[in-house]
Amino acid sequence: MIGKKILVADDETHILSVVTLKLKNAGFRVVTARDGREAYRLASEEIPDLIITDYQMPFLNGVEFCTLLRRESATSNIPAILLTAHGFDLDPVMTTAAGIRLTLSKPFSPRQLLQTVNELLGSDSAAPVAENGEGGVAA
Amino acid sequence: MIQLTPNSPHALQPSRAWWPFTRSRELESQLGLLADRAVRLEAQLKELDLRRKVIESEWSFWRNVLTAMPDPVLVTDSFDEVLLLNEPFQRLFGLTQEGVLRKPVDQAIPNAALVKAITGARATHTRGVRRLDLEVEVGGVTRMFRVGVTPIMSLPGGTSEGPTEECRGVIVTLHDLTAEREVAASKNDFVSSVSHELRTPLASIKAYVEMLIDGEAADDKTRRDFYDVISGEANRLSRLIDNILNISRIESGLVRVDLKPVNLDLIIRDALDVIVPQARQREIEVITQLSPAVHQIAADRDMIYQAVLNLLGNAVKYSPPGATITVSTAVDEAAGEVSATVADTGPGIPEKDLPHIFDKFFRSKANNQIAKGTGLGLAMVKHVVQAVHHGSITVESKVGQGSRFTFRLPVLK
Repeated sequence: MIGKKILVADDETHILSVVTLKLKNAGFRVVTARDGREAYRLASEEIPDLIITDYQMPFLNGVEFCTLLRRESATSNIPAILLTAHGFDLDPVMTTAAGIRLTLSKPFSPRQLLQTVNELLGSDSAAPVAENGEGGVAA
Repeated sequence: MIQLTPNSPHALQPSRAWWPFTRSRELESQLGLLADRAVRLEAQLKELDLRRKVIESEWSFWRNVLTAMPDPVLVTDSFDEVLLLNEPFQRLFGLTQEGVLRKPVDQAIPNAALVKAITGARATHTRGVRRLDLEVEVGGVTRMFRVGVTPIMSLPGGTSEGPTEECRGVIVTLHDLTAEREVAASKNDFVSSVSHELRTPLASIKAYVEMLIDGEAADDKTRRDFYDVISGEANRLSRLIDNILNISRIESGLVRVDLKPVNLDLIIRDALDVIVPQARQREIEVITQLSPAVHQIAADRDMIYQAVLNLLGNAVKYSPPGATITVSTAVDEAAGEVSATVADTGPGIPEKDLPHIFDKFFRSKANNQIAKGTGLGLAMVKHVVQAVHHGSITVESKVGQGSRFTFRLPVLK
């Protein structure tokens, strides 16, 4: 069994690295994107099990690229978590339509993010693989 | 005016020429009483005349009070007819004093909601101002007004008919909220942008600290990298707060502007001392072409220094290794200006972003990847050059070729 695949998109390098490391340490495979366009392309190619995305990014914001993914059958059911540094509340109708299950505001806790990921994917989705050491989990 | 004094022979004392009878004692006394009454009447008349003058001057005083109000004001009477209106009210609704005075409000005022509020307030028997928000079209633009409608009540018990209060009319005031709302909205935008900008480095600090606490860094090298990130982001946060405070203090006029005769070239040389080592590190060449003519400007040295530093810093930040930055100054004798130009061979700014490049917190999305910034640097430069020093700033840029920022300041005469 291989750890589930998560796409992380953020234009802040430090946030991208820290989320990636947290998820990899927990046994997930991670693909990363630095802008909305790249995130859209990677999601279509890699078909991840979950998307964690920043809101404000170059070219397409997090809600926009997730909305685009809804249009194609291969990617239309991927759940997403939105990370945002915007104080205002985003339109819940739009975020729900984009498949965003949860919005976490920055500053966020990587610990809490991991917990949310496990809840969304089913708690045994990744961690046991890392613990049992059955096969490579590095992305 | 007729003279009613007892000494006046024609007015009260009949001439003996046509009066055939001798005066009786009784008649004499009647005439005497009449003369006394005439004296009293005249005194009363004088007093009334004085009172009229007092009332007239008071009336003119209150009319002046009304006229001096910058907000539109209208007063109606108990028949809902226009009694008074000031110039701003006339201008707002395009009315003339003569056209509407003594006219019923529903004919005089071209706004059904306002008419309804006036007649409604007049018909009630309760004191107190009623408030409503009203949209009025002014020159094709909809403006929002806060309207106060206050019934004028007669004093309790003051009428001969009985103790019930009666509405004698209505005072209407309008206050334009559009500008206030615009200020509030722009302040809100600013706060929202600031909080976004502050949250971003704070998010990194919090996340990396938690990772260290949770033992997620596997080795010493990773831990050291984490410390570097935390330290770097803390510095970024601190710079950001400095920038925000600076720009807000300069804009609000809290920073004392210290205008002294200074030499622009010397300020630029000071900034270059800081910038050239940074440029060398990134393998960027800096060419200096300063004008041979020395001209003094009246300027705040520290502010201009910061502005030059921001322009040069941007050029270094966004230009790739191997790029060239040219700093030049020139004197335009005819215009009485000195100009300074910072030109780079960096990535350039897309044409659609150029009109916004000096806006607070605006960052060109195309170059977001190349360097981090607060979106406050150029806003600060523009404010310092234009608002503080009455100069001008322009930008020319072509994607793939580079950008060229020029500011001009008036020469000290």
